[in-house]
Amino acid sequence: MENTLHNKEMRFVYGETLNELIEQNPNVMCLEADLSKASGTNPTVSSKHPANFLNIGVAEANMISIGAGLASEGKIPFCASFTCFASRRVYDQITISVAYANMNVKIVGTAPGVTAGPNGGTHMCFQDLAIMRAMPNMTVLSPCDCYELRACLHWMAAHRGPVYMQLIRMKQPQVFDSTYRFAPCKAVHMRRGNDVTLVSTGYMTPFAMQAADELAKDGIAVDLLHCPSVKPFDAETLVASANRTGGVVTVENQNILGGLGGAVCEILSEQCPVPVKRLGVPDQFGEVATEAYLFEKHGFSVQHIKQACRDIAARRRK
Amino acid sequence: MTEKFDQEQFDQMAAEWRYIMTDMICRAGSGHLGGALSLVEIVMTLYYRVMRTDPKNPRWDERDRLVLSKGHAAPVLYLALAYQNFFPTSWLKTLNADGTKLPSHADARFVPGVDMTTGSLGQGLSCACGAAYAARMDGKKHRVFCIIGDGESNEGQNWEAAMFAGHHKLDNLVAITDYNKLQIDDFTEKLLTLEPLCDKWRSFGWEVFETDGHDWDAIYDTINAAIAVRGKPAMIIAHTIKAKGCCLVENKPESHNIKVPDQAAYDKFLNAMNTKATLPY
Ligand SMILES: Cc1ncc(C[n+]2csc(CCOP(=O)(O)OP(=O)(O)O)c2C)c(N)n1
Repeated sequence: MENTLHNKEMRFVYGETLNELIEQNPNVMCLEADLSKASGTNPTVSSKHPANFLNIGVAEANMISIGAGLASEGKIPFCASFTCFASRRVYDQITISVAYANMNVKIVGTAPGVTAGPNGGTHMCFQDLAIMRAMPNMTVLSPCDCYELRACLHWMAAHRGPVYMQLIRMKQPQVFDSTYRFAPCKAVHMRRGNDVTLVSTGYMTPFAMQAADELAKDGIAVDLLHCPSVKPFDAETLVASANRTGGVVTVENQNILGGLGGAVCEILSEQCPVPVKRLGVPDQFGEVATEAYLFEKHGFSVQHIKQACRDIAARRRK
Repeated sequence: MTEKFDQEQFDQMAAEWRYIMTDMICRAGSGHLGGALSLVEIVMTLYYRVMRTDPKNPRWDERDRLVLSKGHAAPVLYLALAYQNFFPTSWLKTLNADGTKLPSHADARFVPGVDMTTGSLGQGLSCACGAAYAARMDGKKHRVFCIIGDGESNEGQNWEAAMFAGHHKLDNLVAITDYNKLQIDDFTEKLLTLEPLCDKWRSFGWEVFETDGHDWDAIYDTINAAIAVRGKPAMIIAHTIKAKGCCLVENKPESHNIKVPDQAAYDKFLNAMNTKATLPY
C-alpha cells in the first residue's frame, strides 16, 4: 500500500495519514470548518474515528482558538481549511492563541495558490507562506508529493509546537517513495549542477525538475534544491550551492514578496550576495483561471523557469 | 425595477434563469449550483419589484444597494444584472473562463452592478452595516439589502454585525437569510444548531420576519414590511430549497459545488432541470 500512495489524491493521503496518527496517539484530532470533504477527511477520518473528528462549522477563527484550547489540554489538533481561511483570515487567532501562547496546533492550508483555480481571486491565496514565515514560533512546510506529505504529517505529530503546512489537494506526480524521511530545515538536492541554483518548494517542485532536466539537455547544469521546510530554512545548503554556482533562481506558487524567494534573498544578501531572480506572482491578487493561464500571465511556467535559469547562468558571479 | 408583476411571466423567467445558471456552471466545469438556485425568486423580486437601480449608471448614488454576502451564489446575481441590462447576456457564458469579467464569487471590481466584493463568508453583513450607516449619516434615502447564508451564519462576524446594526438602529438595512437548511458538509442543524434562529436575531434588536423564499407574493410583501420597519434593522428568514429546480441534487449536500468533468455530466445536470430554456448566448 505504502508504495502506491502517488496514485491517490493528496487530500486522501492526508485523511489516511491522520487515521494512522490517531491510531498511534489518541490525542491527535482532526478539526474542520465545513470543508471536510474538500480536505479529504470526510468520510475517511469522520467515519473511522468520529470521536477524534470535530467539524466546527464555517467559523475558522473559532476553529483555531478551539484548537489552542484543545492543545492546552494535551490534544494535538490538525485544523484545516482553504489556505486563505487557514492563514490570513485567522492570522490574529494564530498569532495569539497558537504562536504566542506556543500551543501545539497544526494548521493545514488546502488548495494553495493557483490550485484554488475555479474559486478565484477571493480564495486564491499567494501570501500564506510569507505571513506564516513572519510568525515567531511557527514552522512552515510545503510538501510536494504524497510521500513527503505523509512524512511531514508524521513529523508534525511528533514535534511539539505550532506548524503551518500547505496541502495540495489533487494527485501529484511522484517525486519520492516510501523510504523518504522528512528532516526539518533540510533542503533536498533534487539535481546537482554547477551552472545555476534553482530553489523550489511544494507545488512548483515537479515543474522545477522538468525545467532542470530540459536545461541539462541544453548543457546547463542546474543545482536544484527542493525546500519542503520554508521555515526554518536550510541556509547552509543554499549558501554552499550559491557559492558554487554564483547565481540563484527561486520559484514558488506564491507572491514573490516574503515567501520562498524572500527567505532565499534574506539569507544570500547576508551570507553570499549573488544575482537572484524570483519567480512567482509579482505582488498581485489571484483570479478565477486555469493554472496555465496564471503561469503564463505571471511568468512562472516551465519555460519561464528555464529562461530565468539561462539568464542567471549568464549573469552569475564568476 | 419594473412595476408590473405577472405571475406566469415571472414563473417562466425563474425557470429560465435556473436553466441558464446550470448551463453556465456546467460549461465552467464546476461551480456553486445549489446556493444560487435557492435564491432565484428572492433576487428576482429584489431587482424586478423592489430595488431602485439604473443599469445605465450602475454607480448611481441614489440606487438601492445589495450585498450578496454568500458570494459563491454570484451566478444568480449575474443573471439578474444581465437581464436588467447592466451588461450583455453574452458575458454569462464566460463564467470562470480565463480572463472573464464574471468570476465565481461576486466581484464589484469587474461586474457592473455588483455593489460589494464577497467570497470570504461572514463579511458582507458588516459591509452592509457600514454602507447603511454612511447613508444615514449623509441623509440619503436609499436602502441597503444584504443576503447571507444559513451556513454562513456560523461565522461570528455576522453576530458582531448584528449587534452593531441593532445598537445603531439601522432601519435602512434589510437582511435576508437564505435558509435552505444546508451548508457544505451537512444539513445546518446537524452540523451546528442555528435554531431558534428568529429568536437569535430578535435578541440582537432586529425586527424578524419569516417567509417562503419561493413564493412571489410572500417574498414581496415581506420585503415591503421589512422596509417599513422604523427604529430597527430587519431580518427576513427566507425558507428555501437548495438547488431548487434541479431534481438530481435538489435538497442534497452534493448540490453545493457540482463537478462537471465531461459531456455526460453536463447532459446529466441539464436533463435534470425541471424546465428547459433557450440560452441567451
Ligand atoms: C470564510 C469562508 N470559509 C469557508 C468558505 C467556503 N465555503 C463556501 S460556501 C460554504 C458553505 C456556506 O453555506 P451556506 O451559507 O448555507 O451557503 P448555501 O448552502 O446557501 O450555498 C463554505 C464553507 C468561504 N467561502 N468563506
